[in-house]
Amino acid sequence: MSSVANDSVGDLGRHVPALSSALRPHPLDELREWGGSPLVRGKRVLDLGCGDGRLALGVARFATRVEGIDPDPAAVAAAKRNARKAGVRNVRFAAGAAQHLPYPDAAFDLVILSWTL
Amino acid sequence: MVDALVEVHRVLAPGGILVDARPDSRVPAYAERRKPRGFQRYGVVNTSRLELANDRASDRAISLVVREGLFKRTRGGRFWHRVPFSDLAELRKYLWEHLRFVHRAEWVVGVATRKHHANDQFVIRRAVRYELLEALPSRI
Repeated sequence: MSSVANDSVGDLGRHVPALSSALRPHPLDELREWGGSPLVRGKRVLDLGCGDGRLALGVARFATRVEGIDPDPAAVAAAKRNARKAGVRNVRFAAGAAQHLPYPDAAFDLVILSWTL
Repeated sequence: MVDALVEVHRVLAPGGILVDARPDSRVPAYAERRKPRGFQRYGVVNTSRLELANDRASDRAISLVVREGLFKRTRGGRFWHRVPFSDLAELRKYLWEHLRFVHRAEWVVGVATRKHHANDQFVIRRAVRYELLEALPSRI
């Protein structure tokens, strides 16, 4: 049930919650607990409070497309870098507030608030 | 928070799913020493008062949008997650600097035991709760 990473936390995430991926469960472990890949497969997904893209990039392989949004521009920049590094093409990241989402009505099948609310 | 959830409802297609996952502050976290097989509990780590208040506010926001008929609870649960540290000093530093938890663990082993194993690997084992909510069609 529980997951144990082998690398220790180091300094990452102690002071910058949005970049605290090292403190979080692996995205696939988290997804498995929620119900597994069928929850995401073929869906339009919004990762609200995406931080450095940990979860958005983790579930992208199953989803049709994933949008990640976070109020912290530095976190969004990190997410874009991580996406480029991982070669993931169906994910887009943007800076923005949860109270004013820049998407049309009914644009998503799944919204994820992972360690956000 | 409620504003954000109303906005989430707007961008979700009817029948779409909202996943709300976050640390479960209703149960304590534990400081554990990694052993060759398994883990040994060394202490209890409580959530800070501020974070407890934040979590309760989040719970209230979710309850409100459910009551207002925007979402329907479909499923929920809890799982455990371990945050690893290279030694006891690193775990202590994390507790001291991180805002989520109180700054000191309540140790359940003696000073001598802690000193003896201070260079071993440690983890903080904490609960993560999640809930799946289905977006209901807007009544407007």
